[in-house]
Amino acid sequence: MSIEVKDLNHFYNKGTSLEKHALDDVNFVIDKGEFVLIGGEVGSGKSTLVRHFNGLLKPDSGSVKINDIDAGDKKVRSHLGLLMQNPQKQLFGRTVFEDISFGPSNFGSKGEALKKRVVDALDLVGLGPEYTEISPFSLSGGQMRLVALAGILAMEPEYLVLDEPTSGLDPENRYSLLSTLKGLHCSGLSVVVVSHQVDEILPLADKVILLKKGRLAFVGTPEEYLSSVSSPLPEITSFMKLLNQAGFDVRDNIYSVDDAFQEIVRSLKIVEVEQNE
Amino acid sequence: MNDLFFSFIPGNSILHRLDPRTKIIGLMIVSICILQISSFSGMALVTLIFAAFVFACKLPLMHFVRSVRPMIIFFLLIFLMQLFFTEGTPLFSLSLVTVSYEGLILGTILTLRFVFLLIFAALLTATTSPSGITAGIERLLRHFPLRHAGISSHDIAMMMSLSIYFVPMLYDNFKNLRDAQFSRGLDIRKEPLKAILSLSVPLIGMSVRAVDDVAMAMESRCYQSTGRSSMHVLEFGRYDHLFILLYFFVVVLCLIF
Repeated sequence: MSIEVKDLNHFYNKGTSLEKHALDDVNFVIDKGEFVLIGGEVGSGKSTLVRHFNGLLKPDSGSVKINDIDAGDKKVRSHLGLLMQNPQKQLFGRTVFEDISFGPSNFGSKGEALKKRVVDALDLVGLGPEYTEISPFSLSGGQMRLVALAGILAMEPEYLVLDEPTSGLDPENRYSLLSTLKGLHCSGLSVVVVSHQVDEILPLADKVILLKKGRLAFVGTPEEYLSSVSSPLPEITSFMKLLNQAGFDVRDNIYSVDDAFQEIVRSLKIVEVEQNE
Repeated sequence: MNDLFFSFIPGNSILHRLDPRTKIIGLMIVSICILQISSFSGMALVTLIFAAFVFACKLPLMHFVRSVRPMIIFFLLIFLMQLFFTEGTPLFSLSLVTVSYEGLILGTILTLRFVFLLIFAALLTATTSPSGITAGIERLLRHFPLRHAGISSHDIAMMMSLSIYFVPMLYDNFKNLRDAQFSRGLDIRKEPLKAILSLSVPLIGMSVRAVDDVAMAMESRCYQSTGRSSMHVLEFGRYDHLFILLYFFVVVLCLIF
């Protein structure tokens, strides 16, 4: 059970003067249950890559398989929920209920079961059942994005893929979205987040995939990422590296503020003990 | 993501280097000819002219095919309307409607007309940058006494170039939206009504917002319609005179056919 990407190549505008080799021999496996960060600069091929996960784009060569089924097969779309960039723009229903039920009803869910799915999905993103009957266009931007996410979750996918989910959100909404994703992962969902915001996703991730100009630049655990990749690094990691260079005895493969705090306190205590002796 | 639908493709061919005015006048003349022609030999001539231009602009033929592909349903509708609702010598009849020989001819000619109008327009947009088109239209309109009626040629040119600019943008938005709804399991063939609703509602919202954004951006940069300068200094060259001469031949040929 995995997302398996093998020798994937993709070209835009093939055969014209504007031809672009968007993905160049990309290979990796995402196992079920993992939390994966796909990073890279703007234009590195991240969005192109995830459009291959549910067959929105067809590979020019190579293959993408979801649980051993070819991603071009439409069955895949109920197993792998893809939330696009700025998903609040895709809302269209007269009520939140109508919009969230769009996905599951397309896959054959009906009646009471459908109702339950919608309410459950709203609950997962932290919105109450009282939201079902209001218009999605009367909500704030952050809430609209949560409704869009609920629309994907109501399909009950095994893999949740999100393209830049936190872009343009204020810190509060960002924090609540991230904790929602963390909760979903803990309940057994595989989560793949495409983002260039390494700071916020790295603490949650089991695996990091980095793209550079359409090529795979790195695959591994967050710890390996910090020791083998020079940029982009979380700010707290850069800070720890600076402390280390200034002669403090601290680990620098740290990417969360909590760990950094613990490490600095530990180091200071050692210094204190040495001075006392 | 960016499909080359009616968009500019940079290049260095003769057609790319022509003055935008020459190309705009050319498009107008060719369009009038296309609307005038009602015979197959005339259409063959137009095909020949188009082939020569495609050869001259060094772009793949596929680009022009792509420009008309989204309109296929529209073409089919025009063709069928003419086919079924033209009276004349009956060819064969299906229960309610009769297909006439005249309808077949008329339908084919009319469909060809629309196809050619579109691909010649694609020829202009593919070889001329949007700002070039604006500059060309503006300079052409300057000769008309519009400003006495309170309309500046800059306004019209800006409006035209904005609408050209919005076509690929609209198409890009549409594709992103379609991908998003496909991801949610939309099957256009199974439920066309649901598809229209789930695509058109957000698309209209996006378009209105986009227009509003552009208006705001123009306002905040103090857009004014008079006395604007252009990046393009337009000057007729050797080839431009040659092409203008060519247009006379085309018109004469079209009158003969």
